[in-house]
Amino acid sequence: MRMRKFFRNNVFRDIFKKLLGKDKKLKIGFYGHPNSGKTTLANRMTNDWIGKPIGLVSEVPHETRRVYKQEHVTIANDGVELDFDIIDTPGIATKIDYKNFLEFGLSEAEAKKRAKEATKGIIEAIKWLDDVTGVLLVIDATKDPLTQANITIMGNLEARKIPFVVVANKIDLPEASAQRIFSVFPQHTVVPISALHGENMEDLYKAMVQRFN
Amino acid sequence: MEDVKTNALKMDFLSSDAIKASTSMEKISMIVRKVKEGDLVVIEGGLTPEEEAELIETTMREIDVENFVGIDIHTLEKDEKSFFGLSKRRTIGITIIGPANVMQAVKKKSNFLSMIANLGDSGASLH
Repeated sequence: MRMRKFFRNNVFRDIFKKLLGKDKKLKIGFYGHPNSGKTTLANRMTNDWIGKPIGLVSEVPHETRRVYKQEHVTIANDGVELDFDIIDTPGIATKIDYKNFLEFGLSEAEAKKRAKEATKGIIEAIKWLDDVTGVLLVIDATKDPLTQANITIMGNLEARKIPFVVVANKIDLPEASAQRIFSVFPQHTVVPISALHGENMEDLYKAMVQRFN
Repeated sequence: MEDVKTNALKMDFLSSDAIKASTSMEKISMIVRKVKEGDLVVIEGGLTPEEEAELIETTMREIDVENFVGIDIHTLEKDEKSFFGLSKRRTIGITIIGPANVMQAVKKKSNFLSMIANLGDSGASLH
């Protein structure tokens, strides 16, 4: 057992050395649909490792309307540390209808303002694709993962050769199906988690250390 | 085409030959212009991932909260055998792009795509 741990630690240490050997700074972008849990996950990670949240979380879609950045977040995994910047982006969508915000109790003026800001946030998120070195694609496991926005993000990441991990979030909910995400994206690394409850975070950190090498 | 009825849906079908000479920017401008006018654009083949990202970005710039709420994109894929016929890969057969308030519902399965156009809520954006 001790020997196995020794070898595993060495593997992680080697990977970490390779990461450190690169001149570029790791910038991990959080991408996905509005309300898929990107900010909850970013908060979970920054809370875990630097003790403070990165952004506001809300039930209303498009709460994150500008890119939030947290520098020098360190993940420690089996004696291996990974230092990176977190880039929490607004959710990418192909449409924004201000009427959807009215359901959450916003006034018409507030809803229109939020819709306008959301369009700018999406443009900003797309621009950041040129600047991230790794991506966590956060997918709400209670919903259909095969959406055009997810396909577009993955296509762009592959075309730009940016490594990514698919995060099947919200597995604490009874209607969640991580299996559906595994089956539609068999060629990608998929890690089921609950960002809200911190479930399976260690598996995610391991996948990040491996994929972002 | 000026005399198209106000409650009608115009669909433009573009063969891959028709757009292959266009630059990405020309393709995107053409798609956004047509979709903003309420048209549905059906393209043989697909856009590149970079073109899709550019299309989303251009759409976001064009969104006007009152009249244009964005687009919906759907693709129908097909299996294509590799040169030696040893492996299969999925390629995009057709791409449908239309105004989000018109493309009401879509059922998508392997090799099947079903769409309902909602003309009732399409307002001024339709011809």
